[in-house]
Amino acid sequence: MSHVEPGAAEPPVGALPASPQAVSAPSSRVIAVPAHERLPAFFTLDHGTATLAGALAGRVNRRWRLLAAAALPAGSSPDALLGLLVDRVRSADPARATLIGADPGSGPEPLAAWTRLAASSVPAATLAVIAATERTRARLEEAAAGAGWNVVAGSAERTNPLVLTRLATRPGVAALLVGIADPPDADERDLAAELAVAVAGIASRRPGMRIFLAGPFPEVPLLDAFRAPVIVRLPAPAGAPGDLAASTLRAALAVARSGPDDSRRALAASAGSLARVLGLRVEILEIGISGAARVLAVPVPADDGGIAATVQIVEAPDAALFRMDRPGSIDRVDHWFTQGLDRARLRDRLAELAIAPWRDLDADGALLRAAALRGAVERLLAATDPALGDRGVDLVIGAGGAWSAVPAPAAAHIVADVVRRPGAVQVAIDHARLLGPIGTITDDAERDALLADLGEDLLLRLGTIVMPRGLRPNRPAGRLVLDAAGTRSEVELVAGGLTLVDLPPGASGTAELAFRGTPELGPRGRRFQVAVSGGLAGLLLDLRDIPLRLPERPDRRRELLGTWERALWPERDT
Amino acid sequence: MGSLELVPARTLFVSRPRIRLELQPGDRVTAVIGDLVHVGDVVAERIRDARLVEAAGPRDGADQGIPLPGTWLPGEHAHAARRAGAPAGELLFEHAGRRRLASGPHPDRLYAPADGRVLDLEPGVALVLEIDGPGLAATELLGEPHWGRLVLLPEESDPRLALDVALAGAVVVLPGRVDAEALARARAMGIHGAVVASLAERDRRDLAASAARQQAGLHRLAPFGVLVIDGYVRRAFAAAVRSALGAVSGAVVGLVGDPPLLLLPANRELSLPEPDHILVRGGPEAGREGRWLGPGGIRRVRGGITAETGLVALDDGRTVALPIGELERFAVIAANG
Repeated sequence: MSHVEPGAAEPPVGALPASPQAVSAPSSRVIAVPAHERLPAFFTLDHGTATLAGALAGRVNRRWRLLAAAALPAGSSPDALLGLLVDRVRSADPARATLIGADPGSGPEPLAAWTRLAASSVPAATLAVIAATERTRARLEEAAAGAGWNVVAGSAERTNPLVLTRLATRPGVAALLVGIADPPDADERDLAAELAVAVAGIASRRPGMRIFLAGPFPEVPLLDAFRAPVIVRLPAPAGAPGDLAASTLRAALAVARSGPDDSRRALAASAGSLARVLGLRVEILEIGISGAARVLAVPVPADDGGIAATVQIVEAPDAALFRMDRPGSIDRVDHWFTQGLDRARLRDRLAELAIAPWRDLDADGALLRAAALRGAVERLLAATDPALGDRGVDLVIGAGGAWSAVPAPAAAHIVADVVRRPGAVQVAIDHARLLGPIGTITDDAERDALLADLGEDLLLRLGTIVMPRGLRPNRPAGRLVLDAAGTRSEVELVAGGLTLVDLPPGASGTAELAFRGTPELGPRGRRFQVAVSGGLAGLLLDLRDIPLRLPERPDRRRELLGTWERALWPERDT
Repeated sequence: MGSLELVPARTLFVSRPRIRLELQPGDRVTAVIGDLVHVGDVVAERIRDARLVEAAGPRDGADQGIPLPGTWLPGEHAHAARRAGAPAGELLFEHAGRRRLASGPHPDRLYAPADGRVLDLEPGVALVLEIDGPGLAATELLGEPHWGRLVLLPEESDPRLALDVALAGAVVVLPGRVDAEALARARAMGIHGAVVASLAERDRRDLAASAARQQAGLHRLAPFGVLVIDGYVRRAFAAAVRSALGAVSGAVVGLVGDPPLLLLPANRELSLPEPDHILVRGGPEAGREGRWLGPGGIRRVRGGITAETGLVALDDGRTVALPIGELERFAVIAANG
């Protein structure tokens, strides 16, 4: 994005290219050829808690292309799903099926012969956190939650050993984290010896319990524990409270929680590849039934002259889609829901969806999912902003089944409603759930090459959101001139509303915005020139307040939200 | 690979399930690993309000060894001017010559909910049993594990009228609309438990609050469990579940929460649904059942949502294409443990 004062040269913003590239445009970086180039096709499988997603990619004109993709409820057979994809390619494009060897009887059976890239999301298990002092408990708890664990916590400073034992032995607790600072504080030193014996007592009750010891916690009593616990040494909680992104303890706990094919960690790898390949700052908002994560990947110059990427991931189990056990969670879903429903009924519907996430896909079930998704993204941003910040990025990607449960333009509207940052951002969703499985490829060059090769098939592009801050509401705000696909169109801007400009997928161009005031769009100014790319939603000119202010009265709020929702989701009432 | 496997399977029965009866630190287990237990046997005493007690360790020179955490220690009398006494309780740990015990009055009894064998004991955590008969899968048990003779109330009966003291000791199946008031009345009448298709969140909270109020008043509450077969929104039992409940009507059954199951007698014949039998869980056809015909392709449903669908021949004679996400079939038997 660039900011243009009348008659002035365009100054670059930050260290990034002045105009963000369209998602599909690969960088000029030299990319290694994938190791499995000789394969005619491969499958991807993303085993989510609620959804089993599969895709079939095949070689077309020496490039990997997405040939088929489908998603079914978890519990469906992966082989049946992949068989469905093969059958679909055979019936839709028999010639292509022959070329990739998917013809019946033409060679090895595809289900057995073709590689499968698989990722799975592990449901957030519960970790009991016990510390000597409240200060250390807070730091351990923050690291554990950021690593994707559900946390129950207590400290010897505040809680007696009986309550701590109950806490660590309650149903559902999968592991125990005990820790002290390094070096221990004076008050911790006094409590640590007794706490170690208490933890050994807990370990004696639970066969094979995993116990994470963070910092120089005495382990001698545990070595004598009757039930032989699995002891894992981890780094001490370090850094200032709130310095979550850099926490080595958090990273170690994340590894301990999930397996090698964990889809959330794999998303981080894919985000890094996208940042390198596209040269864009990429943010992934992953919302699942059992957890959520936010990934931030920023391209930086590499030592060898190429492009590297810094990647940060923070998980937030509290932001799981239908998790309503935190104060205010139901209220926020009610805030966003455009249908009138009494609170008890709303609670039941959400609880039902937590058990059976695919139930009531259509009609108001879809609207309820959209409201729950807004609430979940709000919780995700609130939980991760302290660690990752709230700076703008170039490309926001929605990942996880929740984003595919609403029509694509409605997904762009959800991002616009909740991710309120001044600037211009491209929006896409991981529609075929490819990012997780591809992220399990350990070799960066191979993963980068595959993502670059898949190109436009990888993400479903929704469009571009342009969101200025600081306009005076309900007044003419200026003018937009859009130059795209060889045509030039003009739109009068009125502050306080949401304006849609048709910009189809594949189209890209330049939007010149001339404001009457000096709003903030990254930098503050009167005239801006923004590179935009199209998608199923097109160009969204979001001239509403930042943060979004809605009427207090529920009926007026629903009416206003419904008006916006209808514009991007015209089929919602049919 | 048959297309039927596109439809997620829901477990109907679990054979010889391993169940966990939850314990708290301070509870005293009377059963021993390997014991054969029968329904209604007392397997543990639960301490309602366990508290932390600190007591002196054994005297110097007394060669008693250090008992393992979780061991139940008998009470010790005080010796005048020499040594303070200690109540009976479960050892949490021993440190610096002092023992921390979980102890308390008012023990309640924990019964075996079915015939089986004690497999494992995790002191203060759980007692693990392997049950002889199969279990009917549910989603949640509210309240306590229990057992009783299964009584099916008529389909459209009002539970507030149908429940009476003659049902004391029974586990009642409530097929119609159920609320917290009806369940509280059932508990007050000495009914051991209830099986319901669904229960709203508000009724769950009311039921728990009612039990907590009585507990706070130090009333000794008889155990009472409510087994929810499905979820929160009102719906009828699936035909396969109705059939299973009908088959064990009058027999002694158990209610357990980990995993949530209705424990059935081993000697009853249970009819199993056909493998291609489909239940519609959501959407306009929710609650209907039918037979799987095959994939129906990607279709747009109301609200502009596109979904993979399946063709289903409903029992009312219609053939419809429904999102696969709203369908389920029953797994015939799943082994547990």
